[in-house]
Amino acid sequence: MTNKKINFILLILFIASVLLGSYQGNRVEFLRECEAFYRWLLAVGTQERLFQSSEGSEKSDKYVDMNLFQKVSEVAIPILKENENTKDLIDDTLSTPENFANIIGNISNDPIIWQLSTRKELAELRKEFLKSLREKKIQYNRDITYAEAQASGVNIFNLFFGFRKIAASLIWLEVDRYWHQGLLHRMVPLMRTCVALDPNFVEAYLIGAWHLAYNATAKLPDTPQHLKKWSPKYNACVGEKEAFYYLAIDFLKNGIRNNPRNYKLYFDLGFAIYKNKMNDYPNAVRYLTEAVRVPHERWVRRQLYICLEMNGQYEEALKGWEDYKTRFPDNPVATRFVLRNQGKIYEMKAQELLKEAEKINDEQSKNEKINQANDYKMQAKEIWKKLSTEEGDPYGDYRLSLMEAMDLYNEGRYLESVAVLDKARWESPSNFDEASDLIIKIKQEANLPLTVSEKKAVLRKIEGDRCQGMPEKVPASS
Amino acid sequence: MKTLLDSIKGPWFIAVYTWREGLRRKTLVGFLILSLLVIFGATFMTSFINQATVGDVTTDMSLRLIKDICVTAISIFGVLITIFISASVIPTEIENHVIYTVLSKPVRRYQYLLGKFLGAQLIIIMNLCLMGGLFFIALYIKQRILPTLLLWSVFLTYFEFLIVSALTFAIACASSSSVLPTIAGLFIYITGSLTEYLKDVYNRSGQTGEWFDSLVGYIAYILWNVLPNLQRFSLKTKILELQPNDPPTDVLIPQLVLYGLIYAASGYILAYWIFRKREV
Amino acid sequence: MTNTYEPVIQTKNLSKIYDTGFRGEQVHALKNLNLDVFPSEIFGYLGPNGSGKTTTIKLLLELIFPTSGQIKIMDRTDISSPYVKKSIGYLPEGSYYPDFLKGEEMLKFYGQLYGLTGKELYKRIDEVLELVGMTYARKRMVKGYSKGMRQRIGLAQALISDPQILILDEPTTGLDPIARKEIRDILSRLRDEGKTLLISSHELLEVEMISNRVGIIYEGNLLVSGTLDELLTSKDRIIEFSNAANGEVQEIKDKGVEIVDQIKDKVYLKARDDQELFVAIEIGKSVGLQIVSITPKRETLEELFIRVISLAKIGRSKKDEDAA
Repeated sequence: MTNKKINFILLILFIASVLLGSYQGNRVEFLRECEAFYRWLLAVGTQERLFQSSEGSEKSDKYVDMNLFQKVSEVAIPILKENENTKDLIDDTLSTPENFANIIGNISNDPIIWQLSTRKELAELRKEFLKSLREKKIQYNRDITYAEAQASGVNIFNLFFGFRKIAASLIWLEVDRYWHQGLLHRMVPLMRTCVALDPNFVEAYLIGAWHLAYNATAKLPDTPQHLKKWSPKYNACVGEKEAFYYLAIDFLKNGIRNNPRNYKLYFDLGFAIYKNKMNDYPNAVRYLTEAVRVPHERWVRRQLYICLEMNGQYEEALKGWEDYKTRFPDNPVATRFVLRNQGKIYEMKAQELLKEAEKINDEQSKNEKINQANDYKMQAKEIWKKLSTEEGDPYGDYRLSLMEAMDLYNEGRYLESVAVLDKARWESPSNFDEASDLIIKIKQEANLPLTVSEKKAVLRKIEGDRCQGMPEKVPASS
Repeated sequence: MKTLLDSIKGPWFIAVYTWREGLRRKTLVGFLILSLLVIFGATFMTSFINQATVGDVTTDMSLRLIKDICVTAISIFGVLITIFISASVIPTEIENHVIYTVLSKPVRRYQYLLGKFLGAQLIIIMNLCLMGGLFFIALYIKQRILPTLLLWSVFLTYFEFLIVSALTFAIACASSSSVLPTIAGLFIYITGSLTEYLKDVYNRSGQTGEWFDSLVGYIAYILWNVLPNLQRFSLKTKILELQPNDPPTDVLIPQLVLYGLIYAASGYILAYWIFRKREV
Repeated sequence: MTNTYEPVIQTKNLSKIYDTGFRGEQVHALKNLNLDVFPSEIFGYLGPNGSGKTTTIKLLLELIFPTSGQIKIMDRTDISSPYVKKSIGYLPEGSYYPDFLKGEEMLKFYGQLYGLTGKELYKRIDEVLELVGMTYARKRMVKGYSKGMRQRIGLAQALISDPQILILDEPTTGLDPIARKEIRDILSRLRDEGKTLLISSHELLEVEMISNRVGIIYEGNLLVSGTLDELLTSKDRIIEFSNAANGEVQEIKDKGVEIVDQIKDKVYLKARDDQELFVAIEIGKSVGLQIVSITPKRETLEELFIRVISLAKIGRSKKDEDAA
């Protein structure tokens, strides 16, 4: 073969390889676009499922996320109806975005959502998404690297070895420094900068929220209810402390949108903020439930079951604890909580039966109900005794005292009832408030004199939960 | 089969010889020691940062900093080592005339070139393994679980470097000293990282309606398509924060590997085309 | 003497032009070189610096490529084929070896490139080290070798595969006289074993000692090529007479006989052929001189080299003048 021929062949091979590289590059580009689309779907699906209804009436004309999500849902749901794994998940009573968001919310559907992101049926919407991304009309975007590259062209951060992430880390060191200096007002903007640079900086969200909810409020006094101001955005009365709590909540929600598969963010929101700071058990349960839907540590479940119990969902809590006990037999607390919830279920059933009995006129049926209720009460007492003696949990003693006090109350022996409750509340400080409320209630019914603090508590209740600017009819929060 | 084996043996021996030669280079050893110091230093420096515990969640900022610093160190030193070694394997041997005694042996030029290229890759892989290994140990000590995602990150980093290495190697085949290919290698890396900009030029073109504007846009589009785009390997840093079994990652990794291999092949073809009739 | 065998190395009208500088100036390194090296011979390839010797060697080894012409080695025109390359051992001029390897590691590397493996390779390494006298230094790094040691190890790597052809560029440079003798003996022995050696050297005396044939190249042209006898021995004979006086010498001159030299009472006459020889003897006798000896005229290789190069230089000057 002559030299010229060989050169020609090599030239052809080189051009062919470059063209093949170009083709492969386009394939990778397509996958990256699909990836950005997929991550956006996860983010906006999370927004739709968890936050959209609770974020008041704030809407933005600048961003097109929710409208686009609506359109995507309308195309996606028919496709998902044909999928064996997802067709049963579609609830016809819900709207298409809600259905789609619920499917997105399940981590086991991630491969299906990914497949969906690459389908040609969604090609037009993908194009629209990318165009909106370039025009900076997308609010919930997780793939910041891709987005920035598309939107702003020359991306110096991406050039220099991923300095974006390290810049975020270095800025965080400043946040840490300001924290030790007590300069909270300087911390907050820097925290926001960190997560803007690196939306996957989970630690920033967690520690930032901790600073806002715990450290910033440590020295703040409680704002009296009537001095709090109504916030339509949060659908709640907001005082000084609450303002920081909601800042922390917003911060964590942003983190959740950008990292919808990280349990720590859901956990912090549910446990650290809603439960510990705001005593908002419904929301605590809500977000802890999300936390266990993604890969998580085992103690996350324990907190969920505790919050379920505190939210009055004893059946679910019991189920959870029994399951936990089976999975982790070495756990020392599971048995106690199984007993606690069992006891509460029995007490609850007894009360329900007694209420039903009051409404029944027929004596026989009434007595049957009462007998059933007494059986449940006996079972409950057995549980509390077991909890107290076998597990050494003083809660058992407290519940026994409570049941005894209620029995005395039902017999009209109010003073004895109050005495039992008083003893119980001092022996079980964690239940002080509950016992105190019962004492006030009994005293009021029995026209017994109230102590000064009891009178104050009554006055607080009379004032109610109203704050400044609160509408007459408070919109229902989801 | 025997012929195939025979044709692989020569390049393999040259590759091993190149690798051994590379191990003895002071500059390479210097880069490696620096990178290991940075990785070790990151672990040490960040140990003063306290952990924060909220509820039961322990947030370890030092772990985050170790990851960031180490990934950056591997990127910086890794690319410098890649460029340096790819730029010097051929020109050094031409400069010191050792190539005479090798090419006079029954080794065809493509085999020689393949051997030198593979030898350079062995050095790059060894360096990445050392840096990645130390990073792996540092993370394992910190978080007590095997950071398997780190392995994928280092794996992808190699294929990014493979593209830079192949193109630098091709330029080195035309040069008699390693200075020009080194500068070219840096240029290739910077250009590869800025290729995304060309797409932006294309997207913004045509707005004025001028023919020249549209022409620039088309040229930018063609270049964006044809030139290797190292931005596509940004997954290597993202992957450390992702969950395992992330669907796009599972699909992107093999595609990126293929992308790297194709451009490496085109770099090698170019290298052979240049070197085939090069007079030494 | 014509060789009845096919040449092992043959070039036909081999030319090489280098393009140098930005203005495309050309250097004609080789001009229509027709070189033949036959089997089982030592061919001495001579020429001044820059004459084209190294260019020729590089072309034979395909380190560079010809502008025109043909090269055949072992009767094959595809000189890049493994078959041809395996038959060649090359010793470069400047001792260009991997410094970071030990002596035996270097031989192992080159041996592997020749396709030697395992016991065969190690046996061969031992043999060549023994042959060149470098067994004692096998475990030392090449960068610690002296010039002479580098030459020896270089020869060893050229011999590692027991090649049929050896191309040696300045094989005895840097060696002491004893080492030179050893190398000469090795080379002669290799030739006797049937190998073909092409030696490029400036050491004319050594080349004259061991070569069968020589070629002299100048400015890309092969000026002369042939056996030493052919090139150095001429038909001229020198007759030495004694008892010569000035008058007799003049008488001889008048009779048209060429006088080469006169030292005291000895006079040296030159005869180009047999007839002139008889005439000179008769004339010498007639004037009363006594014959001491009759010897054929033989140049040294150095004399041949200088003569040939000088003539070539003169020829080039004339050409330049004519061109001007």
